[in-house]
Amino acid sequence: MIISTTALSVIVVVATLVATLTPILLLAMFIRDWKKGRLW
Amino acid sequence: MTGLDDPILPTSIAWGLLIAFSILWVALGWWLGRHNKTAEDHMLAGRNVGLALATATAMATWVTANTTMTAPQLALQLGVWGMLGYSLGALGLVLFAPLARRIRELMPRGFTSGDFIRLRFGTFTWRVFLLVSLIYAFGWLVSMAMAGGVLINALAGIDYRVGMTVILAVCVIYTLLGGLRAVIGTDFIQTIIIIAGAAFIAWLTIDKVGFEAIHFNLMEERPELLSLLFPAAIMFLFNNLLFGVGEIFHSNVWWSRAFAFGRNVGFRAYLLGGLLWLPIPIVAGFIALATPALGINVPAADMVGPLVAAEVLGLTGAIVVFIVVFAALASSLDSLLAATSDLVTRDIYRGHIRPQASEQNQFRATKVIVVLLGLLTWLAASYRGELPIIGSLAELLYFTGAFVASAIWPIVAGLYWRRANPHGAAWSMILGSGIGLASYFLIGFYVAALVGAAVSLAVMVLSTWLAPRPFDWDRLSRDATAEEVRTA
Repeated sequence: MIISTTALSVIVVVATLVATLTPILLLAMFIRDWKKGRLW
Repeated sequence: MTGLDDPILPTSIAWGLLIAFSILWVALGWWLGRHNKTAEDHMLAGRNVGLALATATAMATWVTANTTMTAPQLALQLGVWGMLGYSLGALGLVLFAPLARRIRELMPRGFTSGDFIRLRFGTFTWRVFLLVSLIYAFGWLVSMAMAGGVLINALAGIDYRVGMTVILAVCVIYTLLGGLRAVIGTDFIQTIIIIAGAAFIAWLTIDKVGFEAIHFNLMEERPELLSLLFPAAIMFLFNNLLFGVGEIFHSNVWWSRAFAFGRNVGFRAYLLGGLLWLPIPIVAGFIALATPALGINVPAADMVGPLVAAEVLGLTGAIVVFIVVFAALASSLDSLLAATSDLVTRDIYRGHIRPQASEQNQFRATKVIVVLLGLLTWLAASYRGELPIIGSLAELLYFTGAFVASAIWPIVAGLYWRRANPHGAAWSMILGSGIGLASYFLIGFYVAALVGAAVSLAVMVLSTWLAPRPFDWDRLSRDATAEEVRTA
């Protein structure tokens, strides 16, 4: 049972997309915590 | 691990990067820790870490050099299941989320995992747990230091001992200066560097090679890597899952964070950290599948990631890989140094040597212990291959598998099972570790964690069924607070 090109590309593209958005999400959360004085 | 004949990064550039990032981490460590006045500040960053920093530190600590370098290796050896199996390591973080909430509820003034075991199960079980936990922590510390030396040598040709010494010294210095606050602060930046770097290389590989070419060439040369019924890969998946859960459940690295995160932050931080960690091994591992399409000859499987990055991106790729690996190594080493020094300070120094140690005594002791741990780790990592146990990174990690897995059930039972038998908890760790180790030598490295966990579960269930010992959960909070008041 071989994985198709489409399935492989969907898995990798979704994972890479999430990984690309993660730093942006973390920075947004950091700014929100900082503004509310909840960093530490 | 065998290195490459020709390093992918010029040594002069590597030294420049090493010096620049070392200065950055040490300066940040000093700046973040400049207001630490008590042991609690130093060890638990004030117990009110917010969601952004908490999520990032959970992710950064779980992204080790293994994740960035072994994920491509596993994709090359085990194919699609190799990278998917590695990504299931995220389940350890996700499953720890409810435990983190429970730990904070039961012991709002707790410091270490040892505190919990002592108050929950008594002195004998506590000592057994400390032995198990410290063997694992030291094994992980040495393996990370070794990974630093090996990777810096392979990537840039810098001597193993020099590279290992630099990375270990940098982590010791900034952990010493800033404690957990420095560790968590640097982890945030390191997380962003690691994930952005891995995603950058993955997008360029997709753009330059393309899925059609990757799939076509794999079908021609290595079709088994695309198979969804690859038995060895499926076995690896379960083994990795169990090992990861054991590592996180028992280690003070994760417990100290549960105590340090603000109220109601722990559950969300571990859950979100786990979900965001899930794609990282896929992103880091996928690029290895492009080797047939790129026509790369891979002399050492564990160097496939840097080789592909250098092929696709040239010097820029080599620089990105070097920075990502340095960040991944530092983010795990600093966490381990801080959490292990806390455990030694609280449970060995205060627990066994000086029970009346004040806050200030502990504050000073934890700094001395970070330095001593660094020195011990350096000594063990310096003699790589010359000591019987410290052969390779993989051997060292698998060796600790039996210890790690045998601690899963005592922790879970201690947190949720009111009638769990305290002596049963001790014997489940002793027999689980012992029989797990025997299976490591008699059968193979791949069964140590599995056997350790199975024996530990059987002993825990049987002892509690035969001799249940009801426990008052309120005692944990009451006794921990009373101890703090006594030494304040």
